[in-house]
Amino acid sequence: MSIAAINEQLLRAIGVGVALLDLETLRLRFCNDTFKEWFGDIEVGQHLTDLFAGFDTEALKAALAGEGRHTTETTFRLRRRTMTVALAFNRALESDEAIAVLVCQNISRIKELESMIDSYSMMVERNTREIKREKEQVEKLLLNMMPRSVYEEYKTFGIVTPRLYDPVAVLCLDFIGFAEMVTAHDPGVIVSELNDIYTAFDRIGEQFGCARIRAVGDFYIAMAGMPDPAEDFAQSAANAAVRFIRYLKQRNETHPIKWTCRIGIAAGPVVGSVVGVQKYIYDVFGAAVIHASRLRYFANPMCIVANRMMTEQLDDGFVALSQGKIELTDAEPEEVFRIEADVHAAEGT
Amino acid sequence: MLDVTKHRNIGDQTAPTGQKGVHLARTLFDKYGGFSVVSKIVLDLYDRLLDDDEVGPFFDDVEMARIVDHQTKFVSSLMGGPASYTDDQIEKMHARLTITNAHFDTLKGILCRTLLDHGVSEEDAETVVAGFEARRKLVVE
Repeated sequence: MSIAAINEQLLRAIGVGVALLDLETLRLRFCNDTFKEWFGDIEVGQHLTDLFAGFDTEALKAALAGEGRHTTETTFRLRRRTMTVALAFNRALESDEAIAVLVCQNISRIKELESMIDSYSMMVERNTREIKREKEQVEKLLLNMMPRSVYEEYKTFGIVTPRLYDPVAVLCLDFIGFAEMVTAHDPGVIVSELNDIYTAFDRIGEQFGCARIRAVGDFYIAMAGMPDPAEDFAQSAANAAVRFIRYLKQRNETHPIKWTCRIGIAAGPVVGSVVGVQKYIYDVFGAAVIHASRLRYFANPMCIVANRMMTEQLDDGFVALSQGKIELTDAEPEEVFRIEADVHAAEGT
Repeated sequence: MLDVTKHRNIGDQTAPTGQKGVHLARTLFDKYGGFSVVSKIVLDLYDRLLDDDEVGPFFDDVEMARIVDHQTKFVSSLMGGPASYTDDQIEKMHARLTITNAHFDTLKGILCRTLLDHGVSEEDAETVVAGFEARRKLVVE
């Protein structure tokens, strides 16, 4: 077999489409089997535009006359498959005839891969956005359950170190006759009322640095002086308490359901920690919590009762009236005080 | 006035709240190497479906990018990857097509063979195919 014959056999069998074009006429002079397989039954002598409708022959001629090569792509259907073929024309000289070698590479797979990556990356991006949204919701939920600094610690280390906060002021509030109110009204009405009131309390608490830790039914508990220590923790709690009552009084004037609260405030130490394994919850406990909770039982309607330690921390903006001695714990009875805002000092607040 | 002492940590105690490392059920998508492996299954399935004269004609007038997009989502969702079609979406997508039980069976066979040829265990292939079978009533007329 001659070299020329071997070359022709190779050209025919190769997986790349090869064709020779007469540059003068742009008619086909040769094409191999792969070329025929892709572009159908074609005859030697066919014009380039018969093969590729809308082919820009002027651009081809200009490019071949210039740098001698021209590349482009063509897309067509072969059976039901979308084929994309990259075409590379190279000028060649055969004795004195001007011809071009056309080499075609099947890049359909690359195009299919590109489509798949596009599709996949869009799915991943959408998922990422969803995960981000869910994460924000979880964060929002957790921030309702614990102070931000505690949440940050939990997020970073996966655990929360129990801490002793000393001193802080614990404010405990509940409503007189709550059980009867729940029975007397539609559950939706009660929940809506509590939402309204607790939202107002939260706003007041935020303003004065006395943040809610938790509300269970009609029992609302807030702390001042934690998680960050604050010198004016007692002022904060007393200011919030006075305004809780003021808010309720004003609200009662315009709302059909009248709410009457009582408040106990105690200063002292508390422990703050996340408690529980599966159903974990940020909790505070200790003497101040127990005392504040007990003190509220000694408060008259719409009044605030506090322990001595709390009262001693208050400035002239408040007056403390002794209420006698009570047993806050099993120890010796101790003096407790009713706290009121000093009328003169309260003006303008 | 009392001094406001600095709040302190209590010893080294830690609350038993470590929730990190919670293991979610591992999907087949992850088990078989994620997208790098699933992508090969997708393209092979694409070839086999187009070459099949029974189900291939359904794709006659559909552009390549759309078929590939659907196949990617189809295989990913069946294997628990990052895509999931609701029954409603599946029903709507196939509403205009006249798909018979025979078509569905053919596709099911092609899907199963493709999975097995890519090293998916028989048990896992069955799980995937069962997920496919569960949607039969949504697409067959």
